[in-house]
Amino acid sequence: MTAFLRTEKLTRRFGGITAVDGCSIEVQQGSITGLIGPNGSGKTTLFNLITGVYQPDSGGVYLRDQRITGSLPHRICHRGLSRTFQITRLFWDLSVLENMIVPVRQVGLRALFGPGMYQHEEERALALLERVGLAHLKDQPARKLSFGQHKLLEFASVLMSEPELVLLDEPAGGVNLTMIRFMMDLIRSLNKEGVTFLVVEHNMGVVMELCDHILVLDQGRKIAEGPPHVVQSDPAVLDAYLGS
Amino acid sequence: MRRNLLRGWPIPALIALLIYPWIWREPYFHVLGFNVLLNATMATSWNIMGGYTGYKSLGHAAFFGLGAYLVAIAANQWGWNPLWSAPLLAVAVTLVAIALGWVMLRTTGSAFVIATIAMLLIFRLLALNLREITKGAPGLSQPLPPWPPEFSRLPFFYYMLACLIAALAVSAYVRRSRFGLGLLAIRDDEGKADMVGVNTTLYKVLAFGLSAYFVALGGGIWSYFTTHISPVFAFDILIGVDMILTTMLGGLGTLWGPVLGAFILIPASDLILFTFRSQIHVAIFGALMLAIILFLPRGILPSLQEWLERRRAPRAAFAGARSMAEMVADPTRPSEAARRGDDEVTVAEEVKS
Repeated sequence: MTAFLRTEKLTRRFGGITAVDGCSIEVQQGSITGLIGPNGSGKTTLFNLITGVYQPDSGGVYLRDQRITGSLPHRICHRGLSRTFQITRLFWDLSVLENMIVPVRQVGLRALFGPGMYQHEEERALALLERVGLAHLKDQPARKLSFGQHKLLEFASVLMSEPELVLLDEPAGGVNLTMIRFMMDLIRSLNKEGVTFLVVEHNMGVVMELCDHILVLDQGRKIAEGPPHVVQSDPAVLDAYLGS
Repeated sequence: MRRNLLRGWPIPALIALLIYPWIWREPYFHVLGFNVLLNATMATSWNIMGGYTGYKSLGHAAFFGLGAYLVAIAANQWGWNPLWSAPLLAVAVTLVAIALGWVMLRTTGSAFVIATIAMLLIFRLLALNLREITKGAPGLSQPLPPWPPEFSRLPFFYYMLACLIAALAVSAYVRRSRFGLGLLAIRDDEGKADMVGVNTTLYKVLAFGLSAYFVALGGGIWSYFTTHISPVFAFDILIGVDMILTTMLGGLGTLWGPVLGAFILIPASDLILFTFRSQIHVAIFGALMLAIILFLPRGILPSLQEWLERRRAPRAAFAGARSMAEMVADPTRPSEAARRGDDEVTVAEEVKS
């Protein structure tokens, strides 16, 4: 297996703080990779570096061995990499269905002058909304939905760009147990359909059950990696979480 | 259920506008009508950038003045008739706007607003100082229209009406296109739009250029209409302020809001001017702008729509909320919850429409 996504000695400083410090990780194609670490260990900064929101001070990001460092976020998205946010971000004044259509990938002049929505796109969006149980709300403005529904909508909408790799920032954060189950099943079944996942999550139960490979960050550095049971008993990991 | 408010109105309104100059025959009413249509056209154009995209330019008067000067210069130098040269030269202004937008749209928020004001002031300075071309502060005159003086305002009125219809058609098309959806997404959350694949810079620059087109066209026709233009009047910041005020009064980011705003604001402004016969109308306008922002931040149309919906369906709103609550409580059985919720939302929509 080749690494689908690779970062090489990625470093990013904010003032005197080095948020990500020479971080090298790999995400294998077809995997569900977990990214864990204590608060402030650089997980979200790493996401922002990978998706082009921040530029690294040094190091590089490679997607299928092609360097994407310095590309604009929408270019990176077009290469098949999508993400969700720790604090859900949606187009609040647009309807649920419109939120699904904005990420649809289009090329050339059709992207500009085509109609708002093609029938086949609407059908695909409705099928996805059905899958997350939001189809009946398609004409509601996004802001009228509940917290949990926002999370589901954001997840569903990034799938509309047909990503090969999805970065999930705390998919189980702040939602109830039934919803966590629902999310996990959704991630698993999408993974079986060929989508690779990189998941930041604080709920260890979810991470251990969901992921087949786990990366552990602390102070911007990767301190351990491996299958869940190995990482769980790694002394460096216990140290980072509990302090020595 | 959303656009019901204006269904059936555009056609009678158009007929009323077509016969208006024959009912009120005095030249004053033709001038007033022209001014209303001119402002409605420019506000509709401004709305593509300020309303749909959320970038509120205060310097669109730069494109108005640029259009006016290009048309006047072309008429004097090469004898181009403004009626056909204005739409053509407005394309040139659009290209200028695209080039300037490329630079200015690196800024956001209030920095962008300031950049647009700076742009306007630079163009005004150029018009004042490039005396070889613009004749400086005294300004430029151009040939009078050839038609008889007693009807001289009429062709302008109808011409501007056609411009307004064209601007509305473009605005409606943009609103429904994928391009427009991208613009609305940028207004809601630009960073997110970028990350889901919208080429935000390209979209913003094109919207800026497009929003300059009908403003430049309006400026071109206005320059023929007044026959004499000077930097102080052609590059007047109040022209841009009028576009904003009109749009915000009618409804920012709505198709018909700018038109409604113009039909209220321009006659009102004339009335104030005639009543007080002084520059006090500028102060009154300032107060009005404050009042709109404070009490009617979304403008007349959206507020009216919301009020109507709330008055017609107070219970349906509760029903919708309940179905959503049930959905989240029970996400493992979405299909069942969906069926239940579906019924209630449908009921809510029926009550509303």
